[in-house]
Amino acid sequence: MLKITADELKTISQYIHDISGIYLDQSKSYLLETRLGPIAEELGCASFRALHDKAKRDSTKNIERRLIDAISTNETLFFRDNSPFELLKHKILPELIDLRSPASPRMKTHIKIWSSASSTGQELYSIAMTIRELLDGQLDRFNFKLLGTDISDSAVKQASYGKYNKFEIERGLPRQTLQKHFTLFGDSWKIKDEIRSMVNFRKLNLMLPFTGLGKFDIIFCRNVAIYFTLQDRKKLFNKLAASLADDGYLIIGSTESLTGICPLFVPKRHLRAIFYQKKN
Amino acid sequence: MNTLTILVVDDDPVIRRLLEQRLTKENHTVLLAEDGYKAEKIIETTPIDVILTDLMMPGEIGGIEVLEIAKNKNQQIEVILITAHSSVDTAVEAMKKGAADYLEKPLNFTELFLRLQKISNMLSLLRSAEDLRQAMDVTESTAGETIQNLEITAGELQEKLDAVEAILSNDTIEAYSRITSALNIIYK
Repeated sequence: MLKITADELKTISQYIHDISGIYLDQSKSYLLETRLGPIAEELGCASFRALHDKAKRDSTKNIERRLIDAISTNETLFFRDNSPFELLKHKILPELIDLRSPASPRMKTHIKIWSSASSTGQELYSIAMTIRELLDGQLDRFNFKLLGTDISDSAVKQASYGKYNKFEIERGLPRQTLQKHFTLFGDSWKIKDEIRSMVNFRKLNLMLPFTGLGKFDIIFCRNVAIYFTLQDRKKLFNKLAASLADDGYLIIGSTESLTGICPLFVPKRHLRAIFYQKKN
Repeated sequence: MNTLTILVVDDDPVIRRLLEQRLTKENHTVLLAEDGYKAEKIIETTPIDVILTDLMMPGEIGGIEVLEIAKNKNQQIEVILITAHSSVDTAVEAMKKGAADYLEKPLNFTELFLRLQKISNMLSLLRSAEDLRQAMDVTESTAGETIQNLEITAGELQEKLDAVEAILSNDTIEAYSRITSALNIIYK
């Protein structure tokens, strides 16, 4: 396997940080070697320096995309850590529906939800399934906009396709939910069109400005800021605050904290889960 | 090699006995069924890793149906179909329905053992991945609880601090009562 020198490690981690926001400290040489080494070899690069130079020179950005796909962690599963989805079902959605219901029964209730690091789509589909189960039969009174974004092209592609192999499916998904919302597709499972049509996925680098996204009622930003530096986390959560409705809800990963990172948010507890709202 | 629990489904008693002998010798646990109905009963009641089933059997339940029953019961059960050369097309159809593989008659045991080795390797990988996930879940939920408590405490302290700051900087109130109110907030 191609070895990385101390000097190359600095250059490559700086480059990865520039293109993705992902921060890799000096202890991550093994990760770079195993994940980026094969790409270097395939492109005929004799060193990581050569890979870096080639990626920077590539005006099509194809190499950059491949490096992001390789280095980003797509660890996810359906209903990962069940508590945010219970929170959504029993607290946030009922509250929001009360707040957003228009005076005229003929008008629809608009609710916008953003899964900001959607990986291969499991989180956003879990949100969609939760909504469908809560509002079964009355969905025509609502206009839900569910957006999933991720930095990895291939993750966005898989999410949009909504097809999962049996290992991805078996993790976290109860059998009953599986049979209700998926159809067997050879050896894989495909999310049903009624769920698929509720969501949209697109590529987004959280380090760049969020132009054209508008304001969301609920933002999920779980287990992504952990890969960023403290400084980048501060920037990210400040931007998320600006993209969240004043009475909106922010949900972060169960082991994450905003203390000392973003004073704009206050933590609130509901049963075993925590969510954040903007300080008024 | 890890040992597997294998269900052999075949209407031919000679093949059943032969497979039982060879697989038992390899340290696997072997269950036998002479038709699809018997197989279905075993699948419903016993945890199985692999099913070796004949594609063509008398009765309504053939190899394809056994495959469907197994996959419906548990996606993780791997099914290998045993087929005559003439029914290879059906076997390929079965692969699309989730069969792990098919073997042509007459059975080549070297080939069969290779397939089983692969399945066994994959099962042990799956199990260690499952163990790791379990360990991660426990760690994550314990850490999550601690962090959430800290987060709430930090939030409450910040709220107090803001209130104390507001009261102390309020010029319209006399200094002594500002301090008293501030202390009240702190010790509340």
